Amino acid sequence: MTINKSALALSIGAALLAGSAQAQENKLYLFNWTEYMDPEIIEAFEAKHDVEVVQNYFNSLPEMLSKLQAGGVSQYDIIVPSNYYVPRLIKTGLVQPLDKSKIPNFDNLMDQFKDPIFDPGAEYTAAYQWGTTGLVYNSETFPNAPKSWSLLFDPEVNPEHPFALMGDGQVNLGGACAYLGHGYDCTDPEGWKEAARLLIETKNRETFSGFSDGTPQLQQLARGVTHAGLTYNGDYLYFKEEDPETFASLQFMIPDEGAEMWVDSMMITAEAPNPDLAHQFIDFILDAEVGAQLSNFNYYASPNAAAEPYLDEVLTQPPVQPSEADMERLRFTPSLEGESLQVFQQLWSEVQSR
Amino acid sequence: MRKRTLKRSLTGFWWFTLAFLYLPLAVVALFSFNASNSAARFTGFSWRWYERLLGNEEILSAFANSMVLAIVSSVIALVVGCLIGYGMYRHRHRKLGWLIVLIYLPIVLPDIVFGISEMAFFVQVHRLTGFLQPGLGTMIIAHVTFQIPFVALIVYSRFVGLDPTLFEAAKDLYATPTKRVIHFMLPTIKPALISAFFLSFTLSVDDFVISFFTAGPESATLPIYIWGAIKKGVSPEINAIATLMIAAVAIVAVISLIFSRRRQA
Amino acid sequence: MSYAGVIPSARSRAMVRESRHLLLTVAPGAIWIIIFLVLPSAYLMGVAFMTNGPYGLPEMPLSLGSFERLAGFGFLGWSPGNLYTLLRSLWQTLVSTGLVVLVAYPIAYYISTCREKWRPIMLLLVVVPSWTNQVIRTFGWMNLLAPGTPLSSLAEGLGLIAPNMGLYPSNFAVTLGLVYNFLPFMVLPLYAAFEKLDTAQVEAAQDLYASPVRAFWHAVFPQTLPGLLAGVVLVAIPAFGMYVIPELLGGGKGMMLGNLVASQFSGGANWPLGAAGAILMLIATFIGLYAMRRIGKRLGGGEEVVI
Repeated sequence: MTINKSALALSIGAALLAGSAQAQENKLYLFNWTEYMDPEIIEAFEAKHDVEVVQNYFNSLPEMLSKLQAGGVSQYDIIVPSNYYVPRLIKTGLVQPLDKSKIPNFDNLMDQFKDPIFDPGAEYTAAYQWGTTGLVYNSETFPNAPKSWSLLFDPEVNPEHPFALMGDGQVNLGGACAYLGHGYDCTDPEGWKEAARLLIETKNRETFSGFSDGTPQLQQLARGVTHAGLTYNGDYLYFKEEDPETFASLQFMIPDEGAEMWVDSMMITAEAPNPDLAHQFIDFILDAEVGAQLSNFNYYASPNAAAEPYLDEVLTQPPVQPSEADMERLRFTPSLEGESLQVFQQLWSEVQSR
Repeated sequence: MRKRTLKRSLTGFWWFTLAFLYLPLAVVALFSFNASNSAARFTGFSWRWYERLLGNEEILSAFANSMVLAIVSSVIALVVGCLIGYGMYRHRHRKLGWLIVLIYLPIVLPDIVFGISEMAFFVQVHRLTGFLQPGLGTMIIAHVTFQIPFVALIVYSRFVGLDPTLFEAAKDLYATPTKRVIHFMLPTIKPALISAFFLSFTLSVDDFVISFFTAGPESATLPIYIWGAIKKGVSPEINAIATLMIAAVAIVAVISLIFSRRRQA
Repeated sequence: MSYAGVIPSARSRAMVRESRHLLLTVAPGAIWIIIFLVLPSAYLMGVAFMTNGPYGLPEMPLSLGSFERLAGFGFLGWSPGNLYTLLRSLWQTLVSTGLVVLVAYPIAYYISTCREKWRPIMLLLVVVPSWTNQVIRTFGWMNLLAPGTPLSSLAEGLGLIAPNMGLYPSNFAVTLGLVYNFLPFMVLPLYAAFEKLDTAQVEAAQDLYASPVRAFWHAVFPQTLPGLLAGVVLVAIPAFGMYVIPELLGGGKGMMLGNLVASQFSGGANWPLGAAGAILMLIATFIGLYAMRRIGKRLGGGEEVVI
């Protein structure tokens, strides 16, 4: 009797300690951006390999990184970070190299994605989608909006309508740098300081409505809470397709001072519960038809060369494929480390708290 | 005369405060039936946001997690807290200052400090030993930790309110300590146990911050799901889930009212 | 000899039994709190004295760098950001606690003057909103104060806010959210105090002092002070460390200490700095508690102050 009881108590305790949600053989844990995956692709993968895919979502890269640091590194199999977080993840040992022999479809990628500058030789990354971060605004409010960051940063261009900035400080700082003429990808401390000062002035304007992430900003615009903000080209098209009436008056624009271009890549966490399945999943996504299905669902440009014949027409024109003139002005967000990362963190925390 | 105006203005203020308390909840409920995706204008009645909820596996599993978390943590806290409550009463003449401090600690610690310490600690322990992986288990541990003091204090104050001679009588009546516990102790403190369980359950359901920092990939609770949805910007669906939760709370309130009425009568 | 030895040993056996009883009842809970709260808090305090690694995680050697950062010193010289956050937290706590008192005092009094059978229902009505999750409650205010809603339009019409803007997001919305969130915590202890009010004393005071204000001040107020102090503790401490409300209603302008601490962890920025912020929060909390105790004791109501 007492032995039974203590055995019960022990097993309950052990279950608590070990965490009841221990990863199982047949589960894949995918940690992805919100609204970034076609449910049908997940269903197809689950049916093909007889597994369950557990999806978790993040709205920003800092959020993703903090979840990995808080134990996620041994709980998620696949993460989908953007280019400028890739070196950071590699150097902190949060991810593991890919075994290309398990990913035959890797060859489907376009050449520039097989050797990206943020991960030479693509040892850790398999490109997922690529896109741009631009300004989005209500064209009824701003019928003559300039193709410029001044829509956000110049109180004379937008004196009286609420607007938002990005939740991720690096994008804001880049935008402010571009507006000030230092270029979107500036990293010199003087340029940054000037940009941070501009951000502090901007956030203290009466019409500033807050820092929020790219996807929710579209909802705010659609609901009329804000009239200008920042978002991603594909999300803009995705929601426009879903609600054409509301989005008729919303426009997406790449400012002439330059803006962000990004590549999101699939990576496998260092202590992934199920690395084999993770490799199979990456291979599945890199399949020509699945890759096209993904882009057709997401409205983002595909890094998959083999997928091209299956892509919808909308994916071959702006804003998914930026015009050549715009393309020249797009830059990667710089990947920060060491002192420059700390300087950035301090500037950004200063912007947030003042 | 002056008294009457005072009373009247107080009545007015009472109704104003009630409106203040219930307006936000009423607006959530109203807009959960809004036909359009607008937070400002009500354009017509529709069930569409509720329809979206049905069959949303994430919400159902978040609901299940919330329930498992609240029930399991409340049961553990009830057992552990009840023991402390009794120990504190029985040995109240000893110097138990350290115990009092220990018990008040979870109550006075700000949520955010509580949640972050647990998270940082669990991560470190997991790195060293492999135990305490973030998930429902760590959330239960964290919730029990903040529930124990409330249970202990409720049980303790119930014991203090009892006539000490009852204990002597029980000693004469029942031979063994086990019998004393089953036939005397537990029935006497039953009301305290019920309200302690109820309070623990409420505290668990009401918590967001501590859950948020101790959760794992598969253990999102309803508040965590709603937080994510707000951050994502999908408003009308949140209205619908929130309305269901408000309705549940309202039902519990009415039940507890009837319950207390019956006891009075 | 044998005779002399028996009594002490029987007594000491009883003491051992009592101590074992104490251990058996109290130990599980005490150990639980020590392992799962005292140790984690101690660990967090340790983190505050570590060096911030290149990617925001704590590293050796020990240093006071995070406290310097908290005080505002960094690569860029001194900057006032964190000071602003601290002052904003104190200000919001002060204003919202004051407003909560102003609303709760008449409400608690009013309930205590109503018929006895209505009182439980009235208290329940005050408490029920706080049974819903605070995320939901705050979300309700987001809906209510957004641009274009009747309240915002009214405020716009009165010239209180700029055109096209809503009452949310703003520092005002944060204050409102705090008041809403904590009102029940003040009403309950105040009501308990009013219920126990010695009416004879009040009537005597009414005879003694001509003006009702003075009668209130000398007879009623001191009696409700313990409840008031308990309420202030229950409101001010959690309000000072609030995370959810400024995050959802502040719109990037209302950052409070809780957000500063949280963002060092949830933004993957700087764990030691976050831990140092947590220590600051704890110090403020304990100073607050101590001050309340002292005030309570000096004014005679010390015994009844909850904490």
